Amino acid sequence: MREIQAYLRPDGQVGIRNLVLVLSMVSCSNTVVSRIAQKTGAIPITHEQGCVEFEEDHRRTKLALLAAGRNPNVYGVLLVGLGCEQTSMADVKQAIADAGKPVEGILIQEEGGSPGAEARGVEIVRRLQEEAGKQQRVPCGAGGLVVGVQCGGSDWTTAVAGNTVIGAMADHVTRNGGSVLMSEVMGFPGSEHIVAANAVSREVGLQVLDMVSDLRAEYVELYGQTIEEVNPTPGNKAGGITTLVEKSMGNVRKMGNSPVQGVLQLGDPIPRPGLWVVDNRAQGPDPFNVTGFAIQGANVTVFSSGRGSPVGCAVMPVIKITGNPVTFRNLESITDFNAGVVVEGKPIPETGEALYELLLEVAGGKPTKSELNGNVEFTIPREPARKKPRDGCSQGGV
Amino acid sequence: MKKAIRVEKEDNVAVVAQETLKGDRLDCSGLEIAAGADIPLGHKIALVQIDEGSTVVKFGVPIGRAKLPISTGDHVHVHNVADITEELCNDYEKKFRSAGA
Repeated sequence: MREIQAYLRPDGQVGIRNLVLVLSMVSCSNTVVSRIAQKTGAIPITHEQGCVEFEEDHRRTKLALLAAGRNPNVYGVLLVGLGCEQTSMADVKQAIADAGKPVEGILIQEEGGSPGAEARGVEIVRRLQEEAGKQQRVPCGAGGLVVGVQCGGSDWTTAVAGNTVIGAMADHVTRNGGSVLMSEVMGFPGSEHIVAANAVSREVGLQVLDMVSDLRAEYVELYGQTIEEVNPTPGNKAGGITTLVEKSMGNVRKMGNSPVQGVLQLGDPIPRPGLWVVDNRAQGPDPFNVTGFAIQGANVTVFSSGRGSPVGCAVMPVIKITGNPVTFRNLESITDFNAGVVVEGKPIPETGEALYELLLEVAGGKPTKSELNGNVEFTIPREPARKKPRDGCSQGGV
Repeated sequence: MKKAIRVEKEDNVAVVAQETLKGDRLDCSGLEIAAGADIPLGHKIALVQIDEGSTVVKFGVPIGRAKLPISTGDHVHVHNVADITEELCNDYEKKFRSAGA
């Protein structure tokens, strides 16, 4: 079993970074959060929500905020609120404290306004940073890694090189006792028979098929057309994709070949290590999906992009790879790994192994391009309100 | 030599890694094939003869069915492959659900 040098958190989780976060409770406190972060170098999380939200939307906002604080890469948190917002600072604070982390909160209305809140916040963050600096990396099993896999900005190399190499790496992660999280479930229809056949049990196979049946019905309800009627798109076909199975396989290749352990809803704890599907249906830019992994407690994400992407995450390193050697040459400033060697003839298994080695280096502290460039995206994934609750495995009895 | 990538050993197609012209010789992950047609970047080339009605295999799984006889080196795309996604998914799902009933 491989080993990494990492931070062992009070709740037993393994952190590969030791961050101090400044978390905004409501968009009204975003500016104070940004200023505190600028003065201290702490990581800011700002967003456009936190007040006058419908129940389900607000549940998601709260989940995202408290999960950011609970993420194993985080040492401690300062919460900054206005004082009259919908987000309950007490609830968020309690949830983060329950993970054994130092957490403090300030309200602009109680600090004499923004300048007072800023000064107080800077003072608290500096203290948290001093305590964080005393934390030491210790030897931890590589099984503590929870790795999100994703793609975005795809081109013809994404399926055959980028995602296939990520899949080969994912098998090393699970073989060493770690976890892999796969989302992008809107891209599952067309390969659900392959994913379900890879399920650890009949029950999990049914979870996958049920999720995809539900997704297909959602398409018909929302757009009045089946997914097969509009896929592959004319653009896909021009690029060489012939059928929907082929398109969809390009997506699920990232999962590798380990048995699928179950389908998780956002916020469900991961019951045991292995490969998991996260049913995040937010349709939007790539940070929606990365943030979903951060909410699930991933400590790192590996992201392939044929065209190149700078996307990072407030609470974890995002390792950017490309299957396109030209993109790697042009965009090395935002790309960590060249999987384009595969289209130049290098075998996939050894390229996947090299990516796993990079993953371990990053876990041990090597900064990713997303970190060096200060990419700290955190975009709360928004989904249309559900008419009926879905069964995740925390409810489904796995 | 120009290249094409065969993702899994059992695949009967590979993806060409550059614009390919009829007659070009390609190294398809160790297999040398002559292109029987012009094939755009990112499109598929047949590694063996694929009979009409048999499956096109990529990523180690059937992705479609030949609707015409396809010769080694041919361009493999919508003009000679039928999309059988619904059939593959529905058949699997029916079998899977009824097996436990």
